[in-house]
Amino acid sequence: MPRIIGDGGEGPLLFSERPDWADVTPIPQHEGYNPIAPIFYAPEYKDATDYFRGIVKTNEKSQRVLELTETVIRMNPAHYSAWQYRYHTLLAINASLDTELKLMDILAIQFLKTYQVWHHRRLILTALHSSSPPLSDPSASPSEPPPLDTTPKDFKAAQIELAFISRVLMTDAKNYHTWSYRQWLLAFFDDARLWEGEMSFVERLLEEDVRNNSAWHHRFFVVFGREQLPGDESRESVLKRELAYTKDQIALAPNNPSAWNYLRGILERTKTPFSNLRTFVEPYTKTRSSEEPKEDVLDLENPAPSSTAELPCVAALEFLADIYEDESENKENAIEIWKTLANERDTMRKKYWEYRIKELLENA
Amino acid sequence: MVDLAAHNLRPTPTDGFPSPTSDLQIQTENILKARHPSIPSDSGTSGVLQRNSHLQFLLRNLIQGFPARYTSQDASQPWLIFWTLQGFSVLGVSLDERNKKRAVETLLGLQHPQGGFCGGPGQAPHLLPTYAAICAFAIAGGTGEDGGWEKIDREGMYNFFMSLKQPDGSFLVSYDAEVDVRGIYCLLAAATLLNIVTPELVAGTPEFLASCQTYEGGFGSASFPGWALNDDPTPGEPLIDPTSLRPSLGEAHGGYTFCAFASWVLLLPYINNYPTYRPSYPKPSINMKSLLRWLTLMQGTEIELGGFKGRTNKLVDGCYSWWVGGAVGIVEGLLASDGKQSSHVPKAEAEKNEPEEAWDDVDDSLYNRQALQEYILYAGQHPAGGLVDKPPKNADAYHTLYDLSGLSAAQHRVIPNESRKKELLACWTEEELSKDKIEPLRQELFAFALSWLEEEGTSKFTGSNRVNATHPLFNLTVTHSEAMMAHFYNRKVPSRYKASK
Repeated sequence: MPRIIGDGGEGPLLFSERPDWADVTPIPQHEGYNPIAPIFYAPEYKDATDYFRGIVKTNEKSQRVLELTETVIRMNPAHYSAWQYRYHTLLAINASLDTELKLMDILAIQFLKTYQVWHHRRLILTALHSSSPPLSDPSASPSEPPPLDTTPKDFKAAQIELAFISRVLMTDAKNYHTWSYRQWLLAFFDDARLWEGEMSFVERLLEEDVRNNSAWHHRFFVVFGREQLPGDESRESVLKRELAYTKDQIALAPNNPSAWNYLRGILERTKTPFSNLRTFVEPYTKTRSSEEPKEDVLDLENPAPSSTAELPCVAALEFLADIYEDESENKENAIEIWKTLANERDTMRKKYWEYRIKELLENA
Repeated sequence: MVDLAAHNLRPTPTDGFPSPTSDLQIQTENILKARHPSIPSDSGTSGVLQRNSHLQFLLRNLIQGFPARYTSQDASQPWLIFWTLQGFSVLGVSLDERNKKRAVETLLGLQHPQGGFCGGPGQAPHLLPTYAAICAFAIAGGTGEDGGWEKIDREGMYNFFMSLKQPDGSFLVSYDAEVDVRGIYCLLAAATLLNIVTPELVAGTPEFLASCQTYEGGFGSASFPGWALNDDPTPGEPLIDPTSLRPSLGEAHGGYTFCAFASWVLLLPYINNYPTYRPSYPKPSINMKSLLRWLTLMQGTEIELGGFKGRTNKLVDGCYSWWVGGAVGIVEGLLASDGKQSSHVPKAEAEKNEPEEAWDDVDDSLYNRQALQEYILYAGQHPAGGLVDKPPKNADAYHTLYDLSGLSAAQHRVIPNESRKKELLACWTEEELSKDKIEPLRQELFAFALSWLEEEGTSKFTGSNRVNATHPLFNLTVTHSEAMMAHFYNRKVPSRYKASK
């Protein structure tokens, strides 16, 4: 719908209609040729990006460039060049990075799934909290960032950031960028007080959804991402704690590949033999029979499958076969399990199970 | 006969313990189940590749252009071109000369004056559009005035790549932008095609890739370098001690896994022939066993029609047919060339292009190729043309290509061919190899990349559904990969047709 200049009723003016932008020469996208696969832009987008190309050409870095790049970004948050130019402009004109971070709070929620909102945030945080922001553009000549601040404020800033990320994860609990940003943040600030809160955070998320693989990965990052976490008495006690936690989660919902993958992950990481878990795993590999013996003794180390568990569980069968594979007297049993998986329990992966059989026979 | 279909359409067990993940999973299974080949459909066209309507979809995008909702792809213009052109290639259609010329002209308008390609004219150079543009050049371009290949600024691109290199062996995707393995894949694929790989460019990169492998076996987006920075760096070498802890940022993910793994494989000639950047450092390695396990674990069950997921406990999506299905194909290729997975014995007669009546169970696949094709054919096609993530979503340019490429990967076994590799290595004389100390690396990169050929007599498809094979490392046809590499490595490549005998 065409707008009448100055009618005042149709939202903001185009940049081409604004006297304060009259000194900029807009640059159309395609000049002198008929492009293949063009996009049909809305007039507002075409207008803003024509002016964006205009200021890039003259290398203008000013307050109004912040307005222009924000306009472009709000229409297309994946416009990485607008983000990049905005970042250089912020540094060049010594703009308030705290104000920028507040704007990012709004944009991150609105454009959750874009790479750039999260990376820009990371750049701002880095610029605010380290003496040398990671600048790689040789043509950029930003002014010096503020001097390195004292630790308490850094800690506070990181804490606020973690709280913000937690809120975002409430709306999208598996957002990849959000999770990797959280992991980067923890490692970057690397403050014991920040790491400390993470375990209860993960546990809260896994209570809401025990199948949230992002939360499981985060747990691994928190437990094993650092050599030694402050407060960890020893790696052995950590392994013990992790095994107990994971077994409990498997008992609640045994057909959960996230929990089994985590279990394998912690065993491999700590070079613990899978066979240590045999007693735990076996009940999960059996079909539930009606006259199941009542468990008289509650084995806290080896929680039994819940009463509603659907058994046998494919991941448990796979796990048991992996134990058998390493035992010379049990290789036939491994093959038997793989055959059951291939032909009955996990038929989609028939080819993979047959490959495992073949591999075992060839290496025998 | 046992009613296998009924037996196998079991919902994913929820163990009487529902959660948001299992709720979403059940909803999706209910939608997909209705598309299962064993369920009668009213359309009557199920299971048939709707070639014409997909071609119409691609043609409309290419010639008329993309509607305004593609504004979100304004910084991915070379991708829109590549997805469309490669879609045509997989469907066995080539462009007319006039449109090829337009494509080349459009691509040249995306080259940055200092090297590399941009998401759109006047934007900043970026690794992702650089890959897409180079691949689009491989399809639509060529030598000579209108072909555009000579106008690619390789020196500028190399300098651009070097300026993005990080102390941990990774690369930013653009100035002041993020690091992730997508960017590394895009850089390595473009650099391999254009013959601009050097040891300096890739030193430390294999170690970085290895650090992104997670405990699940797949790869995450990047890793954290801070704790591995060397106190005592030597100028010019990566600043990382690869034996130190570099935890992966983000969980194992299909897209990142393809990119990291394909990068690793593109780099094998470097990894195998060059010492680590410090003699005391161990050779980098990845865990192939856990990778293969994770990749095959991503295939959904019968009720999900055997489509692939991108992460544990997430939903199937047509695009992972390529990212994950394609990656299994690469594993199969490596196993075959290691002799670990005995190679298929070719049938006596030349490949018959007749569709198989029944699926021959005796093949060397490591996943269910038939089911993956069924997912794409029964659930991936939009009735109005183009392909989708899953029903009832709309078709888009991205899913159209990666569904079709996944279909291709599921139909064809493209693996390293030893005799072909020997022929390609022989494209260099002793004199040429001794002339320049990195020439042997170029020779290995060239011969290894182009040794991936379709194994005769192993294609699997039904009815009229055959699509073209595509190179597992580039997602270009072997013909396009070969022509471009022959040009930039300045080699005359022997004909493939006598080689495979």
